Amino acid sequence: MTKRILRSMLLVSAIVLALGFAMTLGILYQYFSGELEQELKQEAEYLSAAVEGQGPDYLEELTDTEGRITLIDSDGKVLFDNTADKEKMENHKDREEFKEALSNGIGQAERVSKTLSEKTVYYARRLPNQQVLRVSTTHYTVLALVSGLIQPICYVILAMLILAGVFAYRLSKRIVDPINQLDLETPENNKAYDEIAPLLSKISSQQKEIRRQLSVAKRQQEEFTIITENMQEGLLVIDTHTSVLSLNSSALRFFGTVENPGRESVYALNRSGSFQKLIEACLSGHHSTAELQLTGRNCQLIANPVLRGGVVQGAVILMVDITEKIQRENLRREFTANVSHELKTPLTSISGFAEIIRDGYVKPEDVKKFAGNIFRESQRLITLVGDIIKISQLDEGSVPYQKENTDLYNVVKEVYTSLEGAAEASGIRLYLEGGHQKVMTVKPILTEILYNLCDNAIKYNRQGGTVTVTLGSGEDGAARIDIADTGIGIAEEEQQRVFERFYRVDKSHSKEIGGTGLGLSIVKHGAAYLGMEVKLCSVPGEGTVVTLEL
Amino acid sequence: MRERFDRQLELLHVELIKMGSLCEQAISLSCQALREGQTENTRKVFAIEDELDKKEREVENLCMGLFLKQQPVAKDLRIISAAMKLISDMERIGDQAADIMELAPYIAGGESKSKIHISEMADAASRMVTESVEAFVKSDLSLAHRVMEADDLVDGLFLKIKDELTELIRVRDLEAGTALDLFMAAKYFERIGDHAVNIAEWVEFSITGVYKGQEL
Repeated sequence: MTKRILRSMLLVSAIVLALGFAMTLGILYQYFSGELEQELKQEAEYLSAAVEGQGPDYLEELTDTEGRITLIDSDGKVLFDNTADKEKMENHKDREEFKEALSNGIGQAERVSKTLSEKTVYYARRLPNQQVLRVSTTHYTVLALVSGLIQPICYVILAMLILAGVFAYRLSKRIVDPINQLDLETPENNKAYDEIAPLLSKISSQQKEIRRQLSVAKRQQEEFTIITENMQEGLLVIDTHTSVLSLNSSALRFFGTVENPGRESVYALNRSGSFQKLIEACLSGHHSTAELQLTGRNCQLIANPVLRGGVVQGAVILMVDITEKIQRENLRREFTANVSHELKTPLTSISGFAEIIRDGYVKPEDVKKFAGNIFRESQRLITLVGDIIKISQLDEGSVPYQKENTDLYNVVKEVYTSLEGAAEASGIRLYLEGGHQKVMTVKPILTEILYNLCDNAIKYNRQGGTVTVTLGSGEDGAARIDIADTGIGIAEEEQQRVFERFYRVDKSHSKEIGGTGLGLSIVKHGAAYLGMEVKLCSVPGEGTVVTLEL
Repeated sequence: MRERFDRQLELLHVELIKMGSLCEQAISLSCQALREGQTENTRKVFAIEDELDKKEREVENLCMGLFLKQQPVAKDLRIISAAMKLISDMERIGDQAADIMELAPYIAGGESKSKIHISEMADAASRMVTESVEAFVKSDLSLAHRVMEADDLVDGLFLKIKDELTELIRVRDLEAGTALDLFMAAKYFERIGDHAVNIAEWVEFSITGVYKGQEL
């Protein structure tokens, strides 16, 4: 801008300077040539008056004249000339000024020399005797004048221009300075020029807009990051060249790396065949899923192609940890297999006994024994089905009982009564400690839980052992029941699994001890239904303590 | 121009990862076949070998194209020239995995393999391949060095197997044909180990510019 202003200023001064000179020159020249003409005229008049009075000889006596004086006869013959020999001069009758003077009395003409450097001005006057007196003077033409003066003029112009340049530079600096010193961070605070005020206010409003958009973008980015970083699922976005565009920390965890790979290929994270197949299928535009073993976890990958205008632009891959799901599925499969097995065993026995009886292979006196077997197996089947029904009721929460005020002491008493026979058979003594304590709970379920726990405590006890139920209150004053036995105990690695359905520490499903394998499962579900906490503490060979906190 | 070049380098990297993955698959299938005596994956391994051959040519063409059209320098040049060498080693690993696969049915039948350390050798060679590919993928120099060191283990196992086989043949506890097959398999594993070391060395070169302790 400074340059531009400087250049314009210089140009203007140069033009003004040149025009000024030219005009001055023109005016002066005009003025001087006018003066010259006037002088010539006067001179011619004086001379003609003198010649009229004293005759042509007067001219001969004239010596110190600046101009040239010629006397021409009416036929054009030169009678006198003070600068040239009259004899050698040609006839002047064709000269413009002569002809004019003859006809009008006065004649004027200008002639430029061949070199264009000189101009001769003629002034002719007709004398009364029909002779013509011509006075002429020669002076420089404009061109000659200019060419003669060109050097000094140039010097002057140059000096002027340098001066103008210095001033123009300073001025343009001063004009531009406020613009240079604009504070664009706060454009509205500037008071430079009114002309740029609209620009500044525009900048100011745009800055505000940009700031707003930036903060929106930043917030969205932050939201996105917060969402993806707090996802348990891994999220992975790739482009068509399989380069990773974005991935969250869960995805990194799935791939077993810590550092973000940047824009590397996703194959650098995992290069197994099935993963490659998944990515390729997805990038060819198909929604696809795969299950992979990643860092020891089962992981389900769901890949969705990102389409824009029908063209695949990349893929979004969601990674879900399905280890637990698979474990649960395995458990369910095991449960189904167990149920079928447990149901089938008594049925096979029943069917077998019945078949033998039908075919008449049984002596009449043995029929009773066989019927007893069938009855026992049916009872077992009924217990089993009853247990399964109980569990599924607890599972669904559709228990047909109401909560009531229950005395724990009495409940344990009842349970003991019903288990008395079994305990006596193994020589186990049953103890009950603590006093009466009333709790709002569903009595049949609590009875069921305590029955199962005490039943186990008796079944898995040693000969002549003890079972002790202690009623007390926990730290927070809630009722607490401890069922302690002196039995075989449960190994630590089994302690979690004993609550699973049909899980038995003794894998042989032995009939010696009996039971359905559902007892502790019922305890767990029942306790969950009643909002109780079950804790198991056991030392193998010494005994087990099960604690219920209400 | 540079962007296009970068894209192609990326493509090269991806292709090499895929080749490495194929190598891993081939050798793990072969080892499985040898260990468990099942041969249903034979065709799969041969398919992988074909795929590796095809990929080798593709990557070679890609590298040649890059050399001629982009005239790479410095690290790019190192990466591309290392890639040219890597692929032939990977292709050889594929071939040898297929060779082992061919031997598997003859070896798997007997109990002979329990008497010698062939399983250990298969594991060691397989691990070397996996680690060398991993070193390439992650540009992991220390892992590359570990692969180079692991070669001694495989070489030691090869000598051990050789002695064991000699002893078995001497006491006529093993049919000579099976012994030869086992010996061949061991040799293939040993070669696979060497190729894995080659890969590791080229990985080192592509990272540091030093090949076998010498600046190239």
